[in-house]
Amino acid sequence: MTNVIRVQTLDGKTIEFVDEIVGSGAMKDVYFTPCKTKVVAFYREPQDAASRDRLEMITGAYKDRIFDAPGGNYWREQFCWPEHMIEHEGKLGMVMPIYPEHFFFEYGSINNDMLGIKGKEKQGKWFASSNNRERFLDAREKGNWLNYLQICLKIARSVRRMHAAGLAHSDLSYKNVLVAPTKAQTCIIDIDGLVVPGKYPPDVVGTPDFIAPECVATGHLDKHDPNRKLPSIYTDRHALSVLIYHYLLLRHPLRGDKVHALDPNEDETLAMGENALFIEHPSDTSNRIKLDNVRESELPWKDTDKLPYTITGPYLSPLFERAFINGLHKPNDRPTADEWETALVKTLDLVQPCVNSACTQAWYIFDNTKSPSCPFCTQKYEGALPVLNLYSSRDGANFKPDNHRLMVYRDQSLFPFHINRQLVPNERLDDKFRKRVGYFIKHHGRWILVNENMPDLSDVKSKTPIPPGAHIELIDGLQLLCSKDVGGRLFVVQMVNN
Amino acid sequence: MFVLHSRVINWFANKIKFHPTYKNYKDYVMRRLPVYLLLDTSGSMAGEPLTSMVNGVQTLLSSLRQDPHALETAALSVIEFGSEATQSVPLTELITFQLPEMQARGTTAMGAALALLNDRVNSEVIKTTPERRGDWRPLVFLLTDGIPTDDLQAGINALDKSKLGIFVACAAGPHADTTQLKKITESVVQLDTLDSSGIAAFFKWVSDSVSTSSAKIDLSKKDVTDLGELPPPPEEVQIAF
Repeated sequence: MTNVIRVQTLDGKTIEFVDEIVGSGAMKDVYFTPCKTKVVAFYREPQDAASRDRLEMITGAYKDRIFDAPGGNYWREQFCWPEHMIEHEGKLGMVMPIYPEHFFFEYGSINNDMLGIKGKEKQGKWFASSNNRERFLDAREKGNWLNYLQICLKIARSVRRMHAAGLAHSDLSYKNVLVAPTKAQTCIIDIDGLVVPGKYPPDVVGTPDFIAPECVATGHLDKHDPNRKLPSIYTDRHALSVLIYHYLLLRHPLRGDKVHALDPNEDETLAMGENALFIEHPSDTSNRIKLDNVRESELPWKDTDKLPYTITGPYLSPLFERAFINGLHKPNDRPTADEWETALVKTLDLVQPCVNSACTQAWYIFDNTKSPSCPFCTQKYEGALPVLNLYSSRDGANFKPDNHRLMVYRDQSLFPFHINRQLVPNERLDDKFRKRVGYFIKHHGRWILVNENMPDLSDVKSKTPIPPGAHIELIDGLQLLCSKDVGGRLFVVQMVNN
Repeated sequence: MFVLHSRVINWFANKIKFHPTYKNYKDYVMRRLPVYLLLDTSGSMAGEPLTSMVNGVQTLLSSLRQDPHALETAALSVIEFGSEATQSVPLTELITFQLPEMQARGTTAMGAALALLNDRVNSEVIKTTPERRGDWRPLVFLLTDGIPTDDLQAGINALDKSKLGIFVACAAGPHADTTQLKKITESVVQLDTLDSSGIAAFFKWVSDSVSTSSAKIDLSKKDVTDLGELPPPPEEVQIAF
């Protein structure tokens, strides 16, 4: 029935595709290869010289720059990156890898997949909207709050990598970032629209909800007007902040109940553009979400008193403030992807499992109080809770606080990057530093650190070594030197609620 | 069959009228994208055309339910016109929308359908007030295989188009008259034949159009107002000039 077409890629490889459109985007039609391991996407419209040139760079130099660098393999799963350029019957196209299995719904929606989404792509919007998630998605698809923190970290890391290479995605949205919450996996797609400052201008404005206010506000101007603001690394930063806020809090940071104009289009333009205002602005409360206007399925997420952005902890909260208060209309003040990544790494060390086994979010962030409780289900933590304050030395003698804490819970692991400030858990981390070096258990009501592979571990006050295989009870005020290497950490134990 | 309730309804402080089929006014809180389908159920549609049309609405519904954005924002209504015009499904969110049982008989009361559309938009589509955000302007898709047998001009006169977003009229098959449809809207498309593949293609395009406008609506600074704003129609659907 359907033909298989064989074409040469512009770099001289042969590729076949089945002549039947399997999907259509805003600009491209997509086909499968016969083996369904790759897809071929053709632009419907003829592309100008700059777009051709850009695609050549994306499938060539830019791809090599990211994937051939140290740690480059890590990115293969994080990006759906165009591999080859092709041309067929006057249409320009590209060959891309197919998305991994986990980006397609395994169970889909409730009631025996009443919506018929099993096998369809996991568009982020399914998970970023409380209404969709709570009313329709099968519980096995949803994931918990820890998964969403991990997802945000991966998105921030991938965006950081693109930006470090001088590339802006220009259309980051939940449509262009696939997520697999239960596996904490993400994949950035639609890379072919990327923007290189001064070289390749953007061809889309972005997707509603994610377009930076300055782009919305100047959208009526001609594309060549010097006052027109177009997608760039700065607007990617806005989109990234919105994505992170949305995934962690299931609401849009700017979609409150302030009505800006009676005409719906004008209202939208002002609310997302010139008059954009954070729904949790500390002094201007005019855009707060009114609880009277909220659906049952959107609670507690849309209750900003119950779940304020500060539940995201001490590292993410200031970034949200910069993104949506100070930097909302000042692109230069927006947090960078790098800053988000660092803050998310530190935040992941602050998580605590909720003791309520029925809690849908399962994890939350230590709120720095004497009686911590889960913000999602209000369950209080019971018993003694050890918090490790991390210090490190610049000169081998004096230890200074790293503004980094590690929460302890059952089976929590210690990794080399916890015991040495110079190691960062990212794509460049050597495999030998990815193995855990210790773990925590609770035994007869006492918290114990078991040393697996920290040769230098010692109790500073008593100068007692704790060799690998040995263990030590965590008590308030205990000081543990973890490593004598440069950047080695000192843990100061603090017992909360004891 | 859906029965239109005529009893009155709730009034809230901001004097917006709510349809009684909604149990909870909170169903209205999101800015919805209303979509009205005006479907010809005159006698000439009997047989394959009607079956294809019912299938088309079914496909439209299932594909929109698979789009998380449409699922959250779109609301759908069906107005049928045969010898008279009836709203067989009031504006309803996708998840509770029930397919109407349509029967083809009688003449083509297209003018009455337009007047009814105006009436329904006035009462179902929420206007924005200084206190409360209302809906997007509705998208309207009209499908007919013939020519109006009632007073079309009266219907056109009754219709306040400033309240509407894009209005697409589709002339299906050899007996539909695009010049009549051009009096209603600039955006007229044509299906050469009145068979299932053509009608299916039309509804697929409607679905893509709703998905597009719900996803990209604020990009263009306005609602979709002409065919250029919609995704390109499939080859079965031609733009009538």
